[in-house]
Amino acid sequence: MLRSSSVSVAKNRLKTLVTSDRVCCAPCDYDKICRELYSSLSKYIELTEEAFKVDICRNYIRITFAGDET
Amino acid sequence: MGEVIVITSGKGGVGKTTTTANIGAGLSQLDKKVIVIDTDLGLRNLDVVMGLENQIVYNLVDVVEGTCRLRQALIRDKRYENLYLLPSAQTRDKTAISPGQMKKLTSELKEEFDYILLDCPAGIEQGFQNAIAGADKAIIVTTPEVSAIRDADRIIGLLESNQIKNLSLIVNRIRMDMVKKGDMMSIDDVTEILSIPLIGAIPDDEQVVIGTNQGEPVIGLDSMAGRVYLNICKRIIGTDVPFIDLSSSLGFFARLTAAFRKNQEARTC
Repeated sequence: MLRSSSVSVAKNRLKTLVTSDRVCCAPCDYDKICRELYSSLSKYIELTEEAFKVDICRNYIRITFAGDET
Repeated sequence: MGEVIVITSGKGGVGKTTTTANIGAGLSQLDKKVIVIDTDLGLRNLDVVMGLENQIVYNLVDVVEGTCRLRQALIRDKRYENLYLLPSAQTRDKTAISPGQMKKLTSELKEEFDYILLDCPAGIEQGFQNAIAGADKAIIVTTPEVSAIRDADRIIGLLESNQIKNLSLIVNRIRMDMVKKGDMMSIDDVTEILSIPLIGAIPDDEQVVIGTNQGEPVIGLDSMAGRVYLNICKRIIGTDVPFIDLSSSLGFFARLTAAFRKNQEARTC
């Protein structure tokens, strides 16, 4: 009875759009940024790929590397 | 000393002009001396939304160029105490004034008015630069659509890089019935992405269309949008007002389905 909501589609599209708008890059560059940050940070901090997350916000970039977000 | 607030959105057609007209009327109802300025050169609309289109003699460009004195161009809205309109020029374009001229004008107006509201044109070109030049604060209007929110995000970035840090968000034309069905982004979805404080969420209300047809603001009317606009005005003058629960206008069945859906979602994620 309940079909999947169009809101989740909209939110995903929007997140991709604003991320690439904010750093003025192509959507695929986001993955590159993540990979490069991961490889440079992993030299100094113990990281796991599963827990590593990069959020590009308007005037800062948030890197989460612990299991739960704080 | 007055405050200059620019009402902007990036995307066109999301309700900047209607919002400017209603906030202007609302603030004057709250005993503030208000001037609303239409900065959309070449596409003048604020006068029409306010129902003052037949009273225009001079306009913003005339004032800036010194063709007339400020007093001569101001239109007093007789329905309200202390509400004035400075209309835009219909036959000129955005290059007719500069950000510096706007800054000078707004700083002069600050001496006399409590609030100077600037209705910003759509886009991020010179018209936008003119409108934000003298602004102390900005109200960003958006609708719960991908394109409007994307543009709002860009506008917020531009405002921040222009040192306008006091930003607040209006989510316009929200339909709670669609939100409950999962077919429209909720107020929380929008604020989460834009991450600036919300100053009001306006439901998609027939009264707004009727008001615009007649050139009358909805503020103060017994309609959901009218009440929300009044609360926004109260928040602008610094009163702490609780947010109205928009879903209370939904029928019993819609609320029941919404509760059911929420339950389902909680189980699936």
